[in-house]
Amino acid sequence: MLWYIFKRLLASIGTLLVVLAITFFLMNAVPGSPFLTEKSTPEQIALANAKYGLDKPLIVQFKNYLVTYAKGDLGVSLKMQEGTPVTDILFHQGKFQLSIRLGLIALCVAIVIGIPLGCVAAYNRGTWIDGFLRVLTTIGVAIPTFVLATLLLVTFAVNHNFLPTISGSLDSFKAYVMPIISLSFYYTCYLAKLTRTSMLDAINQDYIRTAKAKGVKTRSIVIKHALRNSLIPVITYIGPVIAGIITGSFVVESTFSIPGLGKYFVQSVLCRDYTVIMATTFILSALVIFMNLVVDIAYKIVDPRITLSSRED
Amino acid sequence: MKETFAKISPFQLDPSKLEEAFGLDESSFDKANDTEKESMVEMRKSVSYWADAWRRFKKNHVSMVALFVFIIAALFAFVGPLLVPYDYADQLRNAQKLGPMEYSKQEEVVRSIDDKCSSFYATALRPGSITALEKGEYYFKKGGTVYAFTLEKALENAIVMYAPKGVDDKVIIVRMADIDKEGNFSNYEVLNTTTEYSAEAIKLKLRSSVFPHVFGTDSQGRDSMVRTMFGARVSILIGIIAALIVLIIGSIYGSISGLAGGVVDFVMMRIVELIYSIPEVLVVLILQVVLKDPLQKWFDSSQSAFAQGMSDLGSGVVSIFITFALLYWVTMARIVRGQVLQLKKQEYVTAANALGASNRRIIKRHLLPNCVGQLVITTCLQIPSAIFLESFLSFLGMGVSAPMASLGSLCSDALQTISLFPYRLIFPAVILTIIVLSLNLVGDGLRDSLDPRLKK
Amino acid sequence: MSDEKKLIEIKDLKVSFFTPAGEVKAVDGISYELGYNEVMGVVGESGSGKSVEAYSIIGLLQDPGRVTGGSITFEGEDLLAYTPEQMRQFRGNKVSMIFQNPMTCLNPVYTIGNQLMEALTVHDKNITKEEAKKRAIEMLELVGINNAEKRINQYPHEFSGGMRQRAMIAMALICKPKLLIADEPTTALDVTIQAQILELMKDLQKKENTSIIFITHNLGVVAEICDKVSVMYAGRIVEQAKVNDIFYNPQHPYTKGLLASQPRLDEEEPERLIPIEGTPIDLLNPPSGCNFGPRCKDCMKICLTKKPPYVDLGDGHISACWLHFKDAMKKKEEA
Repeated sequence: MLWYIFKRLLASIGTLLVVLAITFFLMNAVPGSPFLTEKSTPEQIALANAKYGLDKPLIVQFKNYLVTYAKGDLGVSLKMQEGTPVTDILFHQGKFQLSIRLGLIALCVAIVIGIPLGCVAAYNRGTWIDGFLRVLTTIGVAIPTFVLATLLLVTFAVNHNFLPTISGSLDSFKAYVMPIISLSFYYTCYLAKLTRTSMLDAINQDYIRTAKAKGVKTRSIVIKHALRNSLIPVITYIGPVIAGIITGSFVVESTFSIPGLGKYFVQSVLCRDYTVIMATTFILSALVIFMNLVVDIAYKIVDPRITLSSRED
Repeated sequence: MKETFAKISPFQLDPSKLEEAFGLDESSFDKANDTEKESMVEMRKSVSYWADAWRRFKKNHVSMVALFVFIIAALFAFVGPLLVPYDYADQLRNAQKLGPMEYSKQEEVVRSIDDKCSSFYATALRPGSITALEKGEYYFKKGGTVYAFTLEKALENAIVMYAPKGVDDKVIIVRMADIDKEGNFSNYEVLNTTTEYSAEAIKLKLRSSVFPHVFGTDSQGRDSMVRTMFGARVSILIGIIAALIVLIIGSIYGSISGLAGGVVDFVMMRIVELIYSIPEVLVVLILQVVLKDPLQKWFDSSQSAFAQGMSDLGSGVVSIFITFALLYWVTMARIVRGQVLQLKKQEYVTAANALGASNRRIIKRHLLPNCVGQLVITTCLQIPSAIFLESFLSFLGMGVSAPMASLGSLCSDALQTISLFPYRLIFPAVILTIIVLSLNLVGDGLRDSLDPRLKK
Repeated sequence: MSDEKKLIEIKDLKVSFFTPAGEVKAVDGISYELGYNEVMGVVGESGSGKSVEAYSIIGLLQDPGRVTGGSITFEGEDLLAYTPEQMRQFRGNKVSMIFQNPMTCLNPVYTIGNQLMEALTVHDKNITKEEAKKRAIEMLELVGINNAEKRINQYPHEFSGGMRQRAMIAMALICKPKLLIADEPTTALDVTIQAQILELMKDLQKKENTSIIFITHNLGVVAEICDKVSVMYAGRIVEQAKVNDIFYNPQHPYTKGLLASQPRLDEEEPERLIPIEGTPIDLLNPPSGCNFGPRCKDCMKICLTKKPPYVDLGDGHISACWLHFKDAMKKKEEA
């Protein structure tokens, strides 16, 4: 088990390197410099480039990034808050914490509500409860996050003032409500649909027939026999869900004016602030990759057949 | 005859009674010939895979309704613009910020002309360019109402054609100067009369120049409905093209990996795993920015129709395609590989192999038909996901470039004025939702009907 | 057979599947009875309705299958009138079942012991965990699994196919049911393992005094273990007799064909195997005549239009064929 985790960690670091390399070389594939503006003279640009080491060969620059990251330093911002260390921007200004809090709560909401909803639907298959949940979840996965976020905003904040329009740094319970709903709704519905399907799939398996032939109660068949088996495919989808929630947070953060990581990343991409792009990519990728690792370990706990070293696709 | 355990013992039965009890006669025990035997068997008409799938699909009412809805949405997107006289880039003067079904003042006037003058024609008028119809130097009268034109630049060569009372079958063409201030035509010189509307004149029929702004107009006076139609068209096209890209790359990659097996498979799958664990949206965002300039250069330099079409959509959309080609095929590749591996083990493939069928034949006759269900389903479900990605990028200010619209960019534009004009968000958002919803439901229905094993 | 000796009695049972293409009469009026401590084989080719009939006894018919007529009486009680809850208590307790594919029939995420004990605890609320565990170990030992104490904590994937089937049998018998339905329990196993499992079942049947309905398409298996045999064809029983009568005095052309198509080791001169020509009929459009008619080499005019009634040939030997009437007519005429 430990050996497996160690191996997976190594692989994760490899993936992280690849992501960083892709990001870095993509950024630099475009001619020009972040300091290129209408007013700047070539001398000024060269000076700025030299100041931040952008005049060095790409390989050296990339190596420098890795070296500074290994030291726990994320470099300094080139443009957005010029000269400020990125660690200050992301951590001390609370951007990272804000996004993480939002993402984790949304993830928990999606799991805690979505999976039981799926079970309820599968358990009551063919009844009005199932029908209602199917309609709800199907609509839920067809509404883009930004539409839902805006509709919530207009309904509850602009027109009725129930909830604040600007969630800002999420300092009250009310501030959380809308961002969390918008962020988690799609994935709640998605997980509910998935659980229902996988549950029904499990219910058609031979071992369920065996359990029935033993005289096990329907409730217990669903909870004991079907659920745990149906969770296995659901867990494999949690990885993409995490990535999706982080993505979704870009939208939610800009809709509700939350100064988080996602919003900042989009801004940094748009204005080509290399160090900020790299640092944010690094942190977000590390997060996603780490969560994927957690998911894989959860897999082992649920399914005794999986010996972690040889996971089949 | 009752079908219960009658337990008749024929040995005790009188032959004469047999006849009575079972309706037997002399010839009953004659041997039946082969044709008679065959005629007993009424073999079910063997139904082809697709006919069978279609039959199952038709039984699925939800999916049928969804398919119908999607067809309507597609008609809205692809046929709709032909019926509306505006273009997505037309900025109608004085018609900015109209609500749904509202008209600007001029449009009201044109409309009332439309209503009353069934045979009012003019040439050299650009649709939508008639201004200040109320006050002008030139008048004409129809149905008791007086209308007038100012002689604007665009109207310089205008000839008004109308059909006065009693001569409805003819169009009389007069000089504008001959119409007096009250709009009377007492002293006019008939320049020409015709029973045939000139082709030119008909083309510029004013009637067609005003169409209700069902969804209102935006701040630049563009008709929102036409923009939504074009947006839906772009979104659907993006979805389909992206799905096809994924289908092609994913199935080729997956089948090579599955068929080759061994080291090739191992390496190819590690690559898939690597791509799978990349947080793709980060890369997508960077790609969007990175590809912008090179693509723009390509558009500017290339003369090909393909490049032209792409440049209409904008570099954002092209980079979406590139993104799909780079990152999103992995799921498809995994599915195809899984199918191929599974099918390779199937007895009928082994049997075909043993019978000496060529690889080509095995792929064509056995692998492909068995994969095709999965491929169709996954492709169908890929479309909404591509539409989602595009709308997400458009929302963040990337994606299609103005004046071209996609449903996502329309939503994003509408957000700035959301509290004043909520309907501007609602229309494209609802249509986006409907398209994604119907495609999802059609995909679900396809899964149920194409892959009976998955049927619940 | 007197009434008090009957364990289960099935009368004119009809089961249909209501598919989109139409009603499929999977079981079309079958009747039989089974006494205590008796083993009956149900033989027939795939799709002849033998499994469906068994599922309807234990109440596990899957949608869209429904019992459309007839009755099932178990120890004098009408099973078809049972509520779902009664049926649940009945299952696993009085009747239990083992299935064809032991690889998929055990829940992969629970230990063998857990699943064995579950079968006990669902029918006996008062049993303690220790007792249940003790009983589970006993059962595993009984079915010949060595090292049961350790094995009980293992997962199904750690068992081989034969061992899983043994575990399934242990699970089925743990509540001491009166009737065990075995649905092709050896089909998915290797031949050597098949023989072991059969031996085990024969053994256990004697020890535990359980009646067995043994569903198979393998006549050899039937000869090995059964007291009597029902031969099914296209949803109907075509012949039913004591096991020796089936093998040495088959009456129905289908049974004869079936025997001729299987290798026999007891005959000195090895004969050519004769296959039964043709394919089974389509149950969606059954012919109005005898279901076997199209494949029967003795098919007569009457067979084309009328289904044959069951004919009692004495000593529990029942066959459904018009040929018997022909023979009777002949005999009468000769006499």
